[in-house]
Amino acid sequence: MRGAKKRRLYLVLAIGLCLSAAVGLSLAAFSSTLTFFLSPRAVVAKHPAPGMNFRLGGIVQVGTVKTVINAGTPTTSFRVTDGQASVPVVYTGLLPDLFREGQGIVAIGAMNASGQFAADEVLAKHGSTYMPKDVEESLKNAGKWNPAFGPAPAADTWNTMKVKGSGS
Amino acid sequence: MNENVMMAARMSKTGAWLHYFANPGRFLRFVRPALPWAAAISFALTVAGIVWGYAFAPADWQQGDAARIMYVHVPAAWVAMSGYAMLAGVSFFSIVWRHPLADLAAEEIGPVGAGFTFVCLVSGALWGKPMWGAYWVWDARLTSVLVLFFLYLGHIALIRAFDNPAHGHRAAAILAMVGAINLPIIVFSVQWWNTLHQGNTISFTGGSKIYITMLYPLLISTVAFYLSFLTLVCARMCAAIMERRTRTLLVAAAERES
Amino acid sequence: MKFAVFINGSYGVTVAFLLGVGWLTFARYRRAVRRLRAVETR
Repeated sequence: MRGAKKRRLYLVLAIGLCLSAAVGLSLAAFSSTLTFFLSPRAVVAKHPAPGMNFRLGGIVQVGTVKTVINAGTPTTSFRVTDGQASVPVVYTGLLPDLFREGQGIVAIGAMNASGQFAADEVLAKHGSTYMPKDVEESLKNAGKWNPAFGPAPAADTWNTMKVKGSGS
Repeated sequence: MNENVMMAARMSKTGAWLHYFANPGRFLRFVRPALPWAAAISFALTVAGIVWGYAFAPADWQQGDAARIMYVHVPAAWVAMSGYAMLAGVSFFSIVWRHPLADLAAEEIGPVGAGFTFVCLVSGALWGKPMWGAYWVWDARLTSVLVLFFLYLGHIALIRAFDNPAHGHRAAAILAMVGAINLPIIVFSVQWWNTLHQGNTISFTGGSKIYITMLYPLLISTVAFYLSFLTLVCARMCAAIMERRTRTLLVAAAERES
Repeated sequence: MKFAVFINGSYGVTVAFLLGVGWLTFARYRRAVRRLRAVETR
């Protein structure tokens, strides 16, 4: 009886180990397909053919957003960057609420003939930092953080910071 | 003489029955008195967490009031994953030690865990639309949680699919343990691959990227959801033990009468 | 409150699930207790 239990235990452990190895290796092998979007660096390196659909993800570069309203529909052009490369994007339509300079976005579309990324859809990718508005403002006023230029500073410098009026 | 043999046979049968029910019986004796208390505390904490998150927590600097969805979405996601980890754990006990209580637990964890996963998926979709601009995207985090939901559904179906319950328990335990490989994929998907879903806010190693007045309702909600999950599973297990005992007594009575 | 539909929807689904599963579990538990007692005292 003890022997049978021990055998089952080792069997289960061995199968679990093999299975994890198999899944881990296949995930590593398929990691490029599992990636939801390409970074501007990858786009510049790979040169996707015009008309081939893909998703482009990165930060909206500060100072590049231009909107032209044509017959009621806005057309926005901006550059998406990852700090090392940047890709020009044009999009016709209403942008999501969270769209602003310095915001992470994922655009779905294809390169057009003039070397711009023509987006059919723009999704906003927001950060995982949660704080009330007045905490953000006091960080900004103190010069510790500007949301347009990168992520919030180390969490323990602000997550219990005393701010007037940010109660409960 | 003949009667003595029959008596001995019945005794040994009764002994086996007792042995089989020893641990579920003990479970029932220990857990039943705690159930009303656990239910009352879970209810109070859940009301506190939900009301605090819905009405009193501050709006987020970036997402405004939509960030309130976090107070139900995140605890539901954590409970869904921990529930599956528990399911895999009891399946391990069931496969190696053939513990009857483990099979009972596996049968009752499934539906509750699937419910929390469903809540996580729906609240996540309702959060994605106003913030991202889409209810659903096929990124690694969302897809792996959908896989978790289907694993739960598969387990619920498989454990009840056999005429011989022992076969169902065995097959479902294997499914639960194989599916556990999905759990680290869910947790680390936002670090391993580019996803639309944001990264983890709460971490055990570094500081949590959430302001303290938003952290409190999140923690209360989390404790409340965990406790509710445990209470529900324990109550369902107690009910299942009692149902089984009722069936056994009825069968025994019918045998005596015939 | 902005985005009220989405927030109310999320909380609505959560509360409906919790109340629903809580009630179903309670009903099942009560029925199990009642049936067992009826069989035991027969």
